[in-house]
Amino acid sequence: MNAPERRTYQVAIIGGGIVGLFTAYRLLRAGAGPVVVLERGFLSSGASGRNGGGVRQQWDSRVTVRLMREAVQDWKQFGREFGTNVWFRQGGYLFLAASPAEVTRLGQVTEAVRSEGLDGRLLEPSGVLRYAPSLSLDGILGATFLKTDGTLYPFPGVWGVYEAVRALGGEVRLGVEVTGVRAEGGRVVGLATTGGPVEAPIVVNAAGGWSGDVSRLAGLSVPNVASRHEILATEPLKPFLDPMVIRLSDGLYFSQTMRGEVVGGLSVPHPTGTRAGVPTSTTFLRTMSRSMVRLVPSLAPVGVLRAWSGYYDDTPDGFPVIGEDPRLPGFFHANGFSGHGFMLSPASSKRVAQAVLGERTDLDPALFSPGRFLDPHRSTEAEGLQPG
Amino acid sequence: MEPVLVPGPTAGRPDLRRLPPRTRSTRYHRPRAPFCGVGYCTNCLVRVNGVPNVRSCRYDAAPGDVMTVENAWPSARFDILGVFDVLFPHGIDTLRGFRRPAFAVPWYQRVVRRLAGTGAFPTPSLPPRPAPGRSMETDVLVLGAGTAGRAAVETFVAEGVRPLVLEREPVPTPIAGAECLGRTTAVFLPPPRESGPRPFELIASVSDGSAIDVRARTVVVAVGGYDASLWFAGSDRPGVVTAEGAERLHPAVRPDFSHAVVFGGGPRAFQILERFGAQTDAVVAPGSIDPDVARKASELDIPLFPRTLLLAAVGRRAVRGVRLARRGGDQPPFRLEADAVILAHRRLPHPQLFFQAGAQMEWRPGVGAYGPVVGGAGATTVPGLFAAGESAGAASPDRARESGIAAATSALAPGPGSRPTPSPPSDEHNELEGYYQELLTAGPGPGKVVICPCEDVLLGELLEATERGYRGIEVIKRYTGVGTGLCQGRYCLPDALLVLALREHRTPREVGYITQRPPVVPTPLGAFAGLPDEVEATP
Repeated sequence: MNAPERRTYQVAIIGGGIVGLFTAYRLLRAGAGPVVVLERGFLSSGASGRNGGGVRQQWDSRVTVRLMREAVQDWKQFGREFGTNVWFRQGGYLFLAASPAEVTRLGQVTEAVRSEGLDGRLLEPSGVLRYAPSLSLDGILGATFLKTDGTLYPFPGVWGVYEAVRALGGEVRLGVEVTGVRAEGGRVVGLATTGGPVEAPIVVNAAGGWSGDVSRLAGLSVPNVASRHEILATEPLKPFLDPMVIRLSDGLYFSQTMRGEVVGGLSVPHPTGTRAGVPTSTTFLRTMSRSMVRLVPSLAPVGVLRAWSGYYDDTPDGFPVIGEDPRLPGFFHANGFSGHGFMLSPASSKRVAQAVLGERTDLDPALFSPGRFLDPHRSTEAEGLQPG
Repeated sequence: MEPVLVPGPTAGRPDLRRLPPRTRSTRYHRPRAPFCGVGYCTNCLVRVNGVPNVRSCRYDAAPGDVMTVENAWPSARFDILGVFDVLFPHGIDTLRGFRRPAFAVPWYQRVVRRLAGTGAFPTPSLPPRPAPGRSMETDVLVLGAGTAGRAAVETFVAEGVRPLVLEREPVPTPIAGAECLGRTTAVFLPPPRESGPRPFELIASVSDGSAIDVRARTVVVAVGGYDASLWFAGSDRPGVVTAEGAERLHPAVRPDFSHAVVFGGGPRAFQILERFGAQTDAVVAPGSIDPDVARKASELDIPLFPRTLLLAAVGRRAVRGVRLARRGGDQPPFRLEADAVILAHRRLPHPQLFFQAGAQMEWRPGVGAYGPVVGGAGATTVPGLFAAGESAGAASPDRARESGIAAATSALAPGPGSRPTPSPPSDEHNELEGYYQELLTAGPGPGKVVICPCEDVLLGELLEATERGYRGIEVIKRYTGVGTGLCQGRYCLPDALLVLALREHRTPREVGYITQRPPVVPTPLGAFAGLPDEVEATP
C-alpha cells in the first residue's frame, strides 16, 4: 500500500494536517513526482483534529468569500471523491450583532456575500428565532444568515485525504520531526529530520501553529504568531440547533454536531507560542459557560463533556500565506490560515499546488504572497472576521 | 415515552432511586440496564423534570419529580428503533456510508441526526440560571474521604493542620478536625501556578448543580479507583454489572439475580463471593484463582473455572447464560445457565487529576493502566501534589492506610523532598493481554461485541481501523469514536489499549497515553458559569 521509504523527493511537505495532506494530494494528481509528507505527531494531532468544523462563506473580503464558495462545493463532493463521509451539513451560519457598529459591519459582510452571488441575509432580531429558536435575544440588535454555510466532521476529512495520498503513491511519515532546512547556493536542497535526511528541491511549510518555527529553521523571519484557542463539547442532545451561531461581541461560536454534542469556543486567545502545550484553563471554562448560558439559558443544566485547545496560525492581516518565499527559492508557504485552514483547504491547496508547479494562481500577491510582509507599502486590506 | 411521577415522601425509600430499570443505547437501541453503580456509565440516564441525561443512580428522587426514559419510543422495554440492532448485525458504517447518491445526502443527514444524541433539549420547570458558586482557600486539600484520604486527614489533624476534604459520595459522619464536603467531585486541577502561597486552583462540581473554586498550597489526591469493564459478545446486556454495580445499585434498580457468574479470581472476586455467595453459580477467571477465593467457593459449593474465556453473555433483554471456553483452545466452548455476570477481575485507578495537573504518568503493567509516577512517600513529579491509596498503587485497605499516612507525613515535612523517579520500563505483561489475544483468536460471539457502550462502537470497527493501517490510541479514538462518550472512556479505552497493543504488535505503553480531558465528570455549563470571578489569592 505504501511506497518504500526513499530519500529523494520532488516535494517534501512539512505538516500532515489537512493543509499538507490536501497539498500532497493535489500535487500527486498533477503528476508532480515523488511527494513526502512529514508529520511530527500522529494524524490529526494538530489543529486539523482540534477545530470546531465550521465552513462558512461570510467574510469581510470578497476574495475570501470567493475561495470559500469554491471550498463549499468541494466539501459537498468530498464523500464521493475521497470515500469517507465528512457529514458536511449545510445548516447555515448565524452571526449576531450586539452594537450598532457590529450591525454596520454585518451589513458590509452581507454586501460582500451577495455580490458573489450568495444568498446572505440581514435579519432583524426577531428573524433570528426562525433559525435558532433556543436563543435568548437579550441585547441582540441584528444578525446575518447564510443557509449554505455549514459544519463538518474534521477527522474523516483527514482520513480521506490521507488514504487518497497513499493510494496515489505519496508517502506520509508519521512521528518524524523536521529539525533543519538545508540550503545550498541560496536555494532549498532538503531537510534534516529525526528520521534522517530528506532530499527535495521543493519544501512546503504547512506546519500550522508551528509554521513560524519551521520558517525560522530556514533562517526566515515571518510575522506568523501561534495563538492558543480553547474549545469544549457538551454531552450529546437530540437535535435542537441547525446553524453555527456566532456572537461578534465576544467571539462566542457554537454548533451542534451530527452526534448531538454542542461544540464551541470563544475568543480568549493566549498568544503564548507553542511551548505551553495545549492545556485547558479555568478562565475559559468560566467565560465560555457564562457566555453560552447567557445566549441559550436552557443549556445551563447540560454537562460539559470535555474541553481541549489548539493553535491558530495567525498573520497580521488575517490572510493566509501562500507561495514561494522570495528570500529562499524552493521554500513554499502554505500557512498563516488564522483559524480557518481546515475549511479553506480544498480551495487553498489547489493554489499551493499551482504555485509549487510554477503555474500562475488567481491569488492577489498583495494579499497572499509571502513577500507582502516585506513591503512597507503593502495593502491595508485585512480579513478580520475571525471567530468560528 | 413512559413518564413516571415519583409518589409520596422519599425519606427512607431508597427504592425510589430505582427509575428507570431499563434504557436503550444510542446508536442501535440495544436494551440496557444500570451497569456501573458509580455514576459514570450511560445505562441509567433519565430525563428528570425536563433536564436531560440525569444519572438516576446518583439522583435522589423527590416527591413530584417527573422522570422520563430517553432515546426510546414508545418505551425502553419495547423500542421500535431496536430494529436497527437486528437489521445491522455488523453495525452501521457512518464513516464510509451514506455518501451516495448525492441527492439523498441531506435526507441521510436528517435521519442520522435525529437518531443521534441521548436526551432532548432541556425544558426545566424552573427558569434555569447559573448556579452561584463559591471560592474557598485552604492550606491542605484532601480529595477523597476513603480509607487513604481519612488516614491522611487524621495525620494532618494530629499535627494541628485543618484540611479541607472533598468527597464524591455523601459523607454521613463528620471527620474530626477537618472541614468535609460530601457529594462534591473534583473535576479540574490545572498545573499549579509558578508562585504564590496557594499555587493550586481546583474546580469541584457539587451535586446541587453549582461549582466551587478552591485555592490550596498542598493537594493530596486519594480518589481511589473503579471496577473495570470487559468485552465479550453481549457484554453490554442487562444483567452484566461491575462489582461496584452489584454492590451499590439497589436491588430494585439492577436486574435481580440468583445465578450469577462472577468473573475474576482475586481479592475483588473474594469480596463479591462474601456478599453474594448464595446467589452465585460459578467463578470464572482469566487466569489462576487465588487460594482464598477457591476456599470460599468450595465452602459455598460453587464450581471454579480458572483460565477460562468468557465468550458471550447469552440473552437479549437479560442475561440467560454465558458461553465459556477453557483457555488453550483445544476444547469446545460450553454454556452455563446464569442470570447475571459480575465483573470483578480488575480495578483501575482514576488518573485524571494527576494528568491534568501535569504530573508525569507511567504505565503500570500489573494493573494494566496508567498512573502517576509516585515516590515512596506519595510525592508526584508536581511539587505539592501527593498521591495516596489506589492512585499510589495501594491494593489493600492496609496499604491504602499506610499510603495516606505517608503522603500526609511527607506533605508536612519541610523542604522540597526527593523527586520521584519513573520505574524502568519492564517486559511484564498484564494478565488480560494474553487473555484478549486468545479471545480474538477464538472469536467471541455470536452477536455484537460492543467495546464502547456509550457510543455503541463495535470491536470490529476497532479491528478494521488497525487493518487499514491506523495506529495509536489517539488516532483510533478519533477514527472510531471509542472513548468519546459520556463515561469519558472509562469503560472502553483501557481495554481498547490492550487490543491495539496486540494488533499493533507493541506494548500498551507504546500504543500511547490515554489523554484525559477535563472535566473529570460531565459538569453543567451553569456550574462553570456560576463560578466567582477570578480573584487573586490572599497571602
